[in-house]
Amino acid sequence: MQEPVTKTNPLLTLEAWFTSGIRLIGTTVSLLFFTVRLIVMGRIDWPEVMRQCNMIGIKSFAVVGLTALFTGFAMSLQIARELVLFGADTAIGGVVALALIREIGPITAGVMLAGRVGSAIAAELTSMMITDQIDALHVMRVDPVEFLVVPRYLAGMFMMPVLSIYAMAIGLIAGIQIANSAANVPMATFLDSVKQTILDRDFTVHFIKSFINATIVVMFSCAIGLSTRGGAEDVGIATTRAIVWTMTMIFVFNYIVTSLTYAPR
Amino acid sequence: MSKQADKAEKATIRVQDLKKSFGNRQVLKGISFEVWPGETLGIIGPSGCGKSTILKLLCRLIPADSGEVFTESDDIGLVFQAAALLNSLTVRQNLALALRAKRLPKDVEDAKIEDTLSLVGLAQFIDSYPSQLSGGQQKRVSFARAVVYQPKIILYDEPTTGLDPVMSTVIEDYMIQLEDKLRAASIVVTHQHSTWKRTASRIILLHDGEIVWHGKPDEAETSDNPFIRQFVYATRDGPMATV
Repeated sequence: MQEPVTKTNPLLTLEAWFTSGIRLIGTTVSLLFFTVRLIVMGRIDWPEVMRQCNMIGIKSFAVVGLTALFTGFAMSLQIARELVLFGADTAIGGVVALALIREIGPITAGVMLAGRVGSAIAAELTSMMITDQIDALHVMRVDPVEFLVVPRYLAGMFMMPVLSIYAMAIGLIAGIQIANSAANVPMATFLDSVKQTILDRDFTVHFIKSFINATIVVMFSCAIGLSTRGGAEDVGIATTRAIVWTMTMIFVFNYIVTSLTYAPR
Repeated sequence: MSKQADKAEKATIRVQDLKKSFGNRQVLKGISFEVWPGETLGIIGPSGCGKSTILKLLCRLIPADSGEVFTESDDIGLVFQAAALLNSLTVRQNLALALRAKRLPKDVEDAKIEDTLSLVGLAQFIDSYPSQLSGGQQKRVSFARAVVYQPKIILYDEPTTGLDPVMSTVIEDYMIQLEDKLRAASIVVTHQHSTWKRTASRIILLHDGEIVWHGKPDEAETSDNPFIRQFVYATRDGPMATV
């Protein structure tokens, strides 16, 4: 449970916020360590992983697809408008694809997963905490990390790259449609430009970002859920906290990976 | 070694000078008791006096500040006040989870689950989810989950609170049946008069983190101790504050 801030001094409020943030990051990192250790030890409940793949991945396809479609429309329209002015309409496909594979695909999938899945994980685990279900697991000598976190983490790691690639593909379809209707660029020209622009390294970075996003969404949400105490009100607080932290961290780490891989030397 | 100390050594549960604080508030101020096989100890007292904290300490869900907690076995069955069934699992899966650590063959596991559910009269709900059951049924499943691996220690946290009188009697009957069948050492935390009277062999009364009375259930009604008199006869006048 987040400690109530009763002091009115803004500096003390900031200090409390900072301390709680550092504590959450510490909890998340140690939870990640224990989760990876259990995976390496082979303590994996595969049927539960499959169930979580359905919850985390399959059920996210509609919302990720819809978001990617409209992001692709808007982005392609802006790019097409500018490139047509410079007579570079044949490069629309390449520029759209670069934006999608490097930034928009992973970000869209990550943010949608944070909103749909991160919040659900935090709410579910917080509810389990406050209704003694986690204590029940301890009493039955079932490790909550093995039982609850490992399947969600593996499902996130499997499904996030799939969702990112799917978001990218939907964005490209939107790009083809806009390039054709707004700039009269045929699909073949669009795809030719894509092939000439995209490098293998772009896919590597795309997958790295996907794995990092999956780790952020699942680990922060689980850490928040498993460290919350209190009552019904705290479920709402934990859910909000999970969304804020996961989304913020997705953008922070996205920039870090981009700056490490694409910054001019 | 004295005869009494020797007897205490053979107890299934032994608690010695147990202390626990939450923040500045000392909830337990040096509690000591033993529970022997086949015995049910009733822990009674007003809300917030530390009854449930003792159960959490016995299950190692929270650490003690000082004192000794000894349990003969790590196999402990705990019946939670609010059932605490895992909502995403069926009744069968909830019970199977309790047997997970035993790594039993599937057919043995299934037989144990079916037998235990029959014991609490819920065999027909084996594939239902907790949300499809009534409060009383959930409590009975929680009860089945706590005993499915036949633990040597069974702890009940307010097992009949919130239930109607008929369902309370049913749960109390199961507790008595189990005591005969398993010969486990049990602790029941409750403030329901009928529950401690029917199920406990001995009771201790907690107040303000200390044991203020102990004895047999029948003695509680005739005792001169002002604490137990106030508790049993539910009067406002007495040493226990009603703030």
